Amino acid sequence: MTYEDWFRKDRLPHIYCAGCGNGTIINCTLAAIDQMNWNKDETVFISGIGCSSRAPGYIVTDSLHTTHGRALAFATGVKLANPKLNVVIFTGDGDLAAIGGNHFIHACRRNIDITVICMNNQIYGMTGGQGSPTTPKGCFSTTTPYGSAESPFDLCELAIAAGANYVARWTSYHVKELEKAVKVGLETPGFSFIEAMTQCPTNFGRRNKFKEVLDQVEALKTHALLKAKRDRMIEQGENIPDDFFIIGELIRRNRPAMGVKT
Amino acid sequence: MKLVIDETRCKGCNLCTKICPYKIFKEGKKPNLRGIVVPELDRPERCANCRLQRLYGRTLCGVCQLTCPDQAIHWEEEQPYEPKKVAIEY
Ligand SMILES: Cc1ncc(C[n+]2csc(CCOP(=O)(O)OP(=O)(O)O)c2C)c(N)n1
Ligand code: SF4
Ligand code: SF4
Repeated sequence: MTYEDWFRKDRLPHIYCAGCGNGTIINCTLAAIDQMNWNKDETVFISGIGCSSRAPGYIVTDSLHTTHGRALAFATGVKLANPKLNVVIFTGDGDLAAIGGNHFIHACRRNIDITVICMNNQIYGMTGGQGSPTTPKGCFSTTTPYGSAESPFDLCELAIAAGANYVARWTSYHVKELEKAVKVGLETPGFSFIEAMTQCPTNFGRRNKFKEVLDQVEALKTHALLKAKRDRMIEQGENIPDDFFIIGELIRRNRPAMGVKT
Repeated sequence: MKLVIDETRCKGCNLCTKICPYKIFKEGKKPNLRGIVVPELDRPERCANCRLQRLYGRTLCGVCQLTCPDQAIHWEEEQPYEPKKVAIEY
């Protein structure tokens, strides 16, 4: 069996734009899930609204495509009603951090045994490129035509502070690492949060001087800083540029969790 | 096994041309029937996964398949007596 068996082949090719990183993240997630020997009937994918949130529609298992920002609320219900189910959530940065921000921190606080994969493209892709809570300072979107002046959210820091048991961040370039991180997340009891930085050539790349898909992937690759390297840089008193983000496993711990399979 | 790009799925984003360690994917030149410029394969026999996945019983590398956002890259069984080139890298 390979992870390709988890796709609804009759629904492919999907609607994502050419070069959109969401497809890569789905591949990595399904490759990790395929190694878990999970029964398809006992696995549920849940999402809100957005390009990223369309992912469960391309997967053979049962799924819930819910209202904008509410994926975690529905997932909490599913998991607590039937802890036997394996619950995986696909979400976007707008879906999770803007309209769904409150559900996010409380799902982390409760430490419910679910795995959340956030495809962070730093913009609202589906609705035409409005700025999201993770749009970096100085980046352009339709709602920040002179460059965003706000400080963005660091979703991983937020999840750690709110109490998630496992938090990791990778990019759509680091496919093997992302696959491994998702697998560890699936195995860890409690709330697992994996942030996958990804490219949105249509709405983010086009407005931010990335002419080609490859340019934005290259930028993701060069601005990613391994956690170990970051720690070393801090030790040596080196300055970490503002536009860098940290990748790697950021926390793994064992806080009391809810809804764990017994 | 041989490497195949599914032309009905590829959207021509060229991500595969960036990530293969052997640079097996090259930007295509001509649009196909759907108007998409599908990448070309440059001596795919060099791919470790083509040669060795049977022997090892698992996927080796496979980075292109994971990266392809449109699930267009996969490996197929060769037909009997299909002409095969052996490429040696110096
Ligand atoms: C209650 C509600 N408010 C607003 C919208 C409009 N809306 C649809 S998708 C979206 C943004 C999605 O952004 P994100 O979660 O980052 O996903 P992406 O498309 O970038 O993958 C918005 C605001 C909606 N569908 N429902
Ligand atoms: S708008 Fe952006 S996120 Fe949505 S499918 Fe296109 S590239 Fe992907
Ligand atoms: S499996 Fe690896 S070596 Fe083979 S074509 Fe894909 S990226 Fe290249």
